[in-house]
Amino acid sequence: MKPEERPIQNILDELVHGDPVSRRHMLGRVGAAGVTLAGLPAFLSACGGVEGTSTTSSTAAQAAAAAVDHPKVPIGDWTFTNWPLYIDKKVLKSFNKEFGGKVKYVEEINDNFEFFGKVRQQLSSGRPIDRDIVVLTDYMAARWLRDGYVEAIDKKNVPNMSNLVDNLQTINYDPNRDFTLPWQSGAIGLGYDISKTGREITSVKDLFDPKFKGRVSMLAEPYDSANTVLLGDGVDASKATLDQILGAIDKIDEANQAGQFRRFTGNDYTTDLTKGNVWIALAYSGDLIQLQSDNPDLRFAYPEEGAMLFTDNMMIPKDAAHPYAAETMMNYVYDPEVQAKITEFVNYIPPVIGVQELLEKSDPELAKNELIFPPEEVRKKLFAYPQLSSGDERKMQEAMAKVTGA
Amino acid sequence: MLRLSLARRRSLLPWLFVGPGLLWLALFFIIPLANQANVSLQTGNPDTGYAFTWAFSTYTDAISEYQEQFLRSLGYAATATVLCLIIAFPLAYFTAYRAGRFRNLMLLLIILPFFMSYVLRTVAWQLILSDNGWVLARLRDVGLVSDTGRLLATRTAVIAGITYNFLPFMALPLYVSLEKIDRRLIEAAKDLYASPITAFRKVTLPLALPGIFAGSLLTFIPACGDFVNAALLGTSRQFMIGNVIQSKFITILDYPTAAALSFILMSFILIGIFIYARLLGARNLTQAAL
Repeated sequence: MKPEERPIQNILDELVHGDPVSRRHMLGRVGAAGVTLAGLPAFLSACGGVEGTSTTSSTAAQAAAAAVDHPKVPIGDWTFTNWPLYIDKKVLKSFNKEFGGKVKYVEEINDNFEFFGKVRQQLSSGRPIDRDIVVLTDYMAARWLRDGYVEAIDKKNVPNMSNLVDNLQTINYDPNRDFTLPWQSGAIGLGYDISKTGREITSVKDLFDPKFKGRVSMLAEPYDSANTVLLGDGVDASKATLDQILGAIDKIDEANQAGQFRRFTGNDYTTDLTKGNVWIALAYSGDLIQLQSDNPDLRFAYPEEGAMLFTDNMMIPKDAAHPYAAETMMNYVYDPEVQAKITEFVNYIPPVIGVQELLEKSDPELAKNELIFPPEEVRKKLFAYPQLSSGDERKMQEAMAKVTGA
Repeated sequence: MLRLSLARRRSLLPWLFVGPGLLWLALFFIIPLANQANVSLQTGNPDTGYAFTWAFSTYTDAISEYQEQFLRSLGYAATATVLCLIIAFPLAYFTAYRAGRFRNLMLLLIILPFFMSYVLRTVAWQLILSDNGWVLARLRDVGLVSDTGRLLATRTAVIAGITYNFLPFMALPLYVSLEKIDRRLIEAAKDLYASPITAFRKVTLPLALPGIFAGSLLTFIPACGDFVNAALLGTSRQFMIGNVIQSKFITILDYPTAAALSFILMSFILIGIFIYARLLGARNLTQAAL
């Protein structure tokens, strides 16, 4: 596609080359919600210089978002694509019962890039991908927006969007949440088995401690691992440049050559951790809560230097056949009662306000869990992913692939 | 219908028989192969797309950058093939000659693992070889593995995994060629005062060569391209070329390099097979197969 055919790409490129507002900044302002609600104009000015072209194309994107109109139609048979074990299936049943139609729920996303590779050809040639909701992590969501692969959300159909937590109301790649709606968030931190390490693990530096040589697993996704290493070195990873990231990858490489890391993993570090093969894993917060119920020796720590925060986002792929059904589902899961059920099942950080209050009644133990409801001092040290251009992202992926041996 | 001369009809008949096979080959082998050959000579990136440019440099770059993984793949696959042969030969021999009424049961046992998914079988080995597992504990007791040593995430585990997963591919062709041997030939050898060892060496082994050849190919070729064992039982320091191709295709979306790597692997394998066939004696093989 030619650039002029994808106005969204233009604004996002501007945002990329500008100076994105860091998530930490936004999180720091959770108390002063008004600031984060300020919307696109304020956001763009926060980015520093905005050129004329981008203003016109951003208005074009805004216009597209404003013009979106998905009239109420019967729900019918529609498709919701998500990651494995990322919903309580009872929620789907009650949705079908309440709104009619039948949701085909497919747990087919195991890796953002793998899923993208699967549907990329159809998307880039402008064919629909026969899925009405996909759930993708921030950096992949940003990429889809950049390439114009996403339908705008008709907010009239999602009144519960007002329940979105303050700190996620706006995000660098979709400042008004016109195209994306958070599904769940989580932190990337230190999962460890205290019976093996013999002490609490508190710092990113512990991943590199020679005492744990061959007993540490690293995440293969550089957005997660390299940025966490940068945080460990005191760098604000949400503003990281490609050079800084490549430096962090070098550091990982060096330790790997020395045999520090047992494996580079995706979600599969959980087996190594529960079997005692690995003592410390760079881990996702929600996983550890689930693992703890089987093995109380397993712990999760937000690194004292700060932790990366990821959000997986619901999006309606371009030319989806059932946008109204998708929006009805979005609205449904943004009902705090429904969201509480999902939280009880998946144990990630819910993006909907009022869930903690509901859980205090039904499951007070869970409502106190700092991994699901991070305390204020932790929230201040949660960082969003840096925004990289497609070319830089590719360079980062290639550098990391060399380290992970593939 | 056109009336064709008898001679004409005779000359067309073979094509009629070969036709479906040729069509199948064209559809599922030649077309994809040509397509990938085309992809391997393209340049570009996933965002702007790839265009055909006769980019032969992709091949040289791929070899120089991934020679380590290439050598590792060939080394692991060769080691596993030899191990398979050592393990499968007595197994096939026993099944063919000594199993008696248990022969079918033995054959069933050999192919039984195939009833379960390949990935699941390999994951099972993750648990068997795990650091707190029974196997490692016994090996430590015996002193074969140091107290801080491990099995999982090592070269040993990867080669063992490949050997385990491909064993039936070696055992079954071996069984078939051993079973086919005319026992009277062995009896004749013994009648002519050959010791059992000499009879085995001069009669059984040469006649089993086609089975050894077929089994080795069926083991070596898929083992070279395997990535599951390295991914599940190894670390990045054990990754094989299959892991590189997988990540290039699926994660990095660098299709030209992935296609080029596949062709390089294919040519390595073809050269290897050619040398192997020469070593075993191709004429010997075809004759024995008849």
